[in-house]
Amino acid sequence: MLKCENISFDIDGHNLFSNINLNLKNQKDLLITGPSGIGKTTLLSILCGLQKPTSGSIIYNDIDLYNLAENEVDNFRGNNLGVVFQNFNLINSFTVKQNLEIASNAIGTKSSDQYFNLLDRVGLADKSHIKVANLSIGEKQRLAVARAFVGEPQWIFCDEPTSSLDDKNANIIANLIKEESSRCKASLILITHDSRIQTLINFSKILRLGEEL
Amino acid sequence: MIIGITIITVSILVNQITKETFSKNNPGLDAVVGAKGSPLQLILSSIHHIDIPTGNISYQNAKKIIKHPAIKSAIPISLGDNFQNFRIVGTNKNFLKLYKANLNSGTEWSKPMQAVIGHNVSKVTNLNINKFFVGSHGLIDTGDVHAEQPYKVVGVLNKTGTILDNLILTSLDSVWNLHSDVNKGKLEITSLLLKYKNKTSAFSFPRLINKGTNMQAASPSFEISKLLKLTSNAHKIIDYLSVLIILLSLVGVFFTLLNNINERRYDLAILRTLGFSRLKLFSIILSEGMIISIVGSTLGLIFGYLIYESMHYFSIVGRSIELGQLNFLNDLFLIWITVNIIAFITCLVPCIKVYKQNIRTTLLNS
Repeated sequence: MLKCENISFDIDGHNLFSNINLNLKNQKDLLITGPSGIGKTTLLSILCGLQKPTSGSIIYNDIDLYNLAENEVDNFRGNNLGVVFQNFNLINSFTVKQNLEIASNAIGTKSSDQYFNLLDRVGLADKSHIKVANLSIGEKQRLAVARAFVGEPQWIFCDEPTSSLDDKNANIIANLIKEESSRCKASLILITHDSRIQTLINFSKILRLGEEL
Repeated sequence: MIIGITIITVSILVNQITKETFSKNNPGLDAVVGAKGSPLQLILSSIHHIDIPTGNISYQNAKKIIKHPAIKSAIPISLGDNFQNFRIVGTNKNFLKLYKANLNSGTEWSKPMQAVIGHNVSKVTNLNINKFFVGSHGLIDTGDVHAEQPYKVVGVLNKTGTILDNLILTSLDSVWNLHSDVNKGKLEITSLLLKYKNKTSAFSFPRLINKGTNMQAASPSFEISKLLKLTSNAHKIIDYLSVLIILLSLVGVFFTLLNNINERRYDLAILRTLGFSRLKLFSIILSEGMIISIVGSTLGLIFGYLIYESMHYFSIVGRSIELGQLNFLNDLFLIWITVNIIAFITCLVPCIKVYKQNIRTTLLNS
């Protein structure tokens, strides 16, 4: 269960959003949408433990995320959350496989079978030794998805996973995310202003930022 | 860092070994009497067999000194020849007693042109009992040999760890036989190695010799301590230079780490998003710096030791001073640990920078 209580965030004295409350049961999917600049990515950072909110609490299965010490927040993120960032945040000097390995090292698991299966499912099995810098945008997106599922996390966060893709690739990525999160029995929390996503994934909840909740 | 540690290692080894060797080579001698000239040269040539002698003295005059009431023991030595750069020393059998030398095989010499050789001489030249060799003129092998009168090896000494290991000993008669044409029957020796009956003679006896004769008396402990004082100043300058090089290399490590962190701050932030804790990244960066420091300082010690070992090897073959054994690991370990503690403190600055990094800001700025 993911529970958010009265989340507010101020930046430079300006209130970006306030009093966000939500409950998301395990294996249920949430879409967070809203216009650009409304604070969707900031909310994702808060939910992932990357940015402390001005007030409020985030509770994962009775664990209050921001009551943990900072090192424990990092460990919790590595073990329980998978994040697909809008700009992928891949290590460009590493190969495809090394990007998965480093994610695996972070949580202390190592299995070359797992890397191969993951890369196979995202269609990058034949590119495992290619450096990320040499991949196309679509391939980077797929790798970012694959990396988020290393360690089979309980919660998957995706920030605008399809907004820079054409319809065909958007369809591939959306299906991939949905399939992998179902396989891992993970809750999917997806942030986007891309209206196509609702036709591709069936969300159990939708949170519209900037509108009445 | 490697260069700095190498230089300081060699400096420490040579400094310590020189002191130890000088101390070992002097079996309690109070004075050396020889021809006038540099007293230090007289000591170095007669006891440590490094320098060339100041000249010769009359054996008749030497005998008067031997009989002097202040003298407990006096051992004459006569230099002039070598075999493959190992000095041939004409002396009497008390010389062996002076160094408490034991024969490994064979016997002491009993007649002219018989020789007892030191441990290293046997090892390097492969000379052994009943083998013959011919001496070369002078103290360095020039190829100008006394082919007509070879020496016969009658004894090989056990290792003593002193200069004795590098000497070929024979009777005074042997040396006089070979150089009789030069001396025209007038017997000469190079010097007399003396022990006083009473230590108070250390003040009066040298004055007596230096003022009353054409010879000089020099004190080994006084001359060697003067020499060590001079060389220790040189060692200090080398040590300061090494410390400077080490400090500069540590500054280099510091800026390399800092630069690496600046270049990789985005990657480090990504690692945080994947679950690497701040503490884990802190320890990774610290390990990187410490690996550079530990590998650098260890290689420096190894290279320093290898240089020392080369010097040790060449000292056996070509020179008289033996550098002894490595028994000052404490000093080297102290340097190694100090360098690495300083490196550890230096590395903390970039590590703290990583520890305090704000992931979200870094990712947004990138």
